[in-house]
Amino acid sequence: MEGAKSAVSQPAAAVALRFTGRAGEYFRIWIVNVCLSVITLGIYSPWAKVRRKRYFYGNTLLDDAAFEYLGNPVAILKGRIIVFVIFAAYALLKEIHFLTAIAAVIGVAAAMPWIIQRALQFNARNSTHRNVRFGFKGTKTDVFGVLLLGGLLVPATLGMAYPFYLSAKRRMFVDNSSYGATRFRFSATAGNYYFAALKLSLAFAGFLAGSIVTLGIGLLPLYLLLRAYAEVLFARLAWRNTMLGDVCFDCGWTTGGLFGLYFVNSLGVLFTLGLLLPWAEIRTARYKLERITLQSDSGLGGFLAAAQEEVGAVGDEAGELLGFDFGL
Amino acid sequence: MSGIQALYFDGKSSDRRSVVLELDPRRGLCVRGDGVDAAWPLPDVRASERIGNSRRRLYFPDGSQCETADNDAVDALFDAPPAARLLHRWESRLGYALAAVAITMAAAWAAVVWGIPALAKQVAFALPVATEKLIGRDALAALDKYVLTPSQLPPERQDALRKLLARMSAGPDGDGYRLELRRGGRVGANALALPAGIIVMTDELVELSKDDRELEAVLAHEIGHLRQRHILRHVLEDSGTALLIAFSLGDLTSATTLAAAAPTVLLQAKFSRDFEREADDYALDYMARRGIPPEKFAAILQRMEEKRQGDKDIPDFLSSHPATRERIERAREHRAP
Repeated sequence: MEGAKSAVSQPAAAVALRFTGRAGEYFRIWIVNVCLSVITLGIYSPWAKVRRKRYFYGNTLLDDAAFEYLGNPVAILKGRIIVFVIFAAYALLKEIHFLTAIAAVIGVAAAMPWIIQRALQFNARNSTHRNVRFGFKGTKTDVFGVLLLGGLLVPATLGMAYPFYLSAKRRMFVDNSSYGATRFRFSATAGNYYFAALKLSLAFAGFLAGSIVTLGIGLLPLYLLLRAYAEVLFARLAWRNTMLGDVCFDCGWTTGGLFGLYFVNSLGVLFTLGLLLPWAEIRTARYKLERITLQSDSGLGGFLAAAQEEVGAVGDEAGELLGFDFGL
Repeated sequence: MSGIQALYFDGKSSDRRSVVLELDPRRGLCVRGDGVDAAWPLPDVRASERIGNSRRRLYFPDGSQCETADNDAVDALFDAPPAARLLHRWESRLGYALAAVAITMAAAWAAVVWGIPALAKQVAFALPVATEKLIGRDALAALDKYVLTPSQLPPERQDALRKLLARMSAGPDGDGYRLELRRGGRVGANALALPAGIIVMTDELVELSKDDRELEAVLAHEIGHLRQRHILRHVLEDSGTALLIAFSLGDLTSATTLAAAAPTVLLQAKFSRDFEREADDYALDYMARRGIPPEKFAAILQRMEEKRQGDKDIPDFLSSHPATRERIERAREHRAP
């Protein structure tokens, strides 16, 4: 009786993600990855990628339990070789025989829904938390629909449909994602996205005005500011409208915080010719992850695992190039 | 040894249990606490690879697993494969990491400066001649449209020069070379080889020469470019460098776009210098065979350079002949092989 009463009267405390990666430690892992990738002419790079992802997942804690990445480097190597061969063939073809190159591009475009669907599946199924896998149940048709919106409707409406496309893309991704047997749910409407786009276009007008007033000197910092604003706007919209069972999410990134982070990161990376890249990566992960919070009345236990089958990594690379990810 | 603090997940739900792991000589690895009491022979338990101090996992045969932050205790229990141990050792010390920085830079430099050009050369010579002809078929048309105007040399003179090239390139793999004469205008006294076996020479260059043996030297240099497949090699090197960087650093997605383009641009000058040298060598060998003194080549180079410095308004973008002084000296020092 006591317990039931307290559950009603006061909402459960929000739990933030915690990130325990350290820049010095990750720098050493990163440079060994880069070194081995370069001296093996890239053959090691899938192992490097898995090591990097395992480090970041393993250092991301939710309620004191870490995430885990299970991607198989050999599967990623196969995917990477396929992508490499296609790109190499295209690079040579476009110099030699333009029409064949165009045909190749159309061929790849036709395979895109399949590639992206596989990528999303591979990424989700190889991510686990508390020994329960994430999943992606979207079909090729779902992906095709989103691509059709982005490739045809957006240009046909001169970009007016872009917010609609963004909302449809997010909805397709979230609604088809699952943790164990439980689906994620997305509740934002296209209207929410149009409102965000309106705010962003006002900010863009401010960016233009600011760049002109400062005679172009402020262009770069103002651009970073605009990017940070856009990112915060859409990340908040996405997270605050996502639910998993009775778990809801919140995103506490701020434009100022993200701007400061990117500004310092860019300076550090530029002045060390890339050597501070791992430091920047750790700082970004810490900022972004530690400001994602989860809230649930019934706690994080009790999610049931689902039956899983294996997926190859053919689409993994291409999917990453196209920016499909959890967006952390 | 005291027990390892860990979290236990059964793999059926996301429920979490706090357990203690202990090694028992008879039962193997025991997992106890929070309603769990299980034991597995140690060889049946697999441990995840150590990566820095991130959480470790122990996988049990029934699909359940444990998660622990106690990396050292896990290392004491399980023998990691030699490769994994070596990798972790390498990652644990700053000195080793700095060595990795040095190795990376050296390897990347070697690959871009030697590896890719050598590979591009092999590939270029393996591809049929027709391949090169397909590249930039429209190069001459584009030049005619934007830069060059029709030649104003008398037709007899043009004819004589064309016959000169035909004579020079007579031979098993010389067929198909064609001389196109044009008024250079902005590009001034110049000659260039186009992929389809076309050599373009400007009126200004013809006017600059004191005798036809100088022009023969220039034509031999351009034939050198064509015979050595320089244009195809150039294309292959460019895309090869970009691909290598993208491939080996593929997981630094954010950095690749910027990094992939930069080295190609920076090394452009070096590539063309090597190609110029190869074409010069071809020209000088040719001249030695025909009994033309190398001074003829040096003289026309010298005059082109003086002309170029005189005409300040000639843009630099088409003059791919860096370090002319060095080339003149090489020509003068050239001895017949």
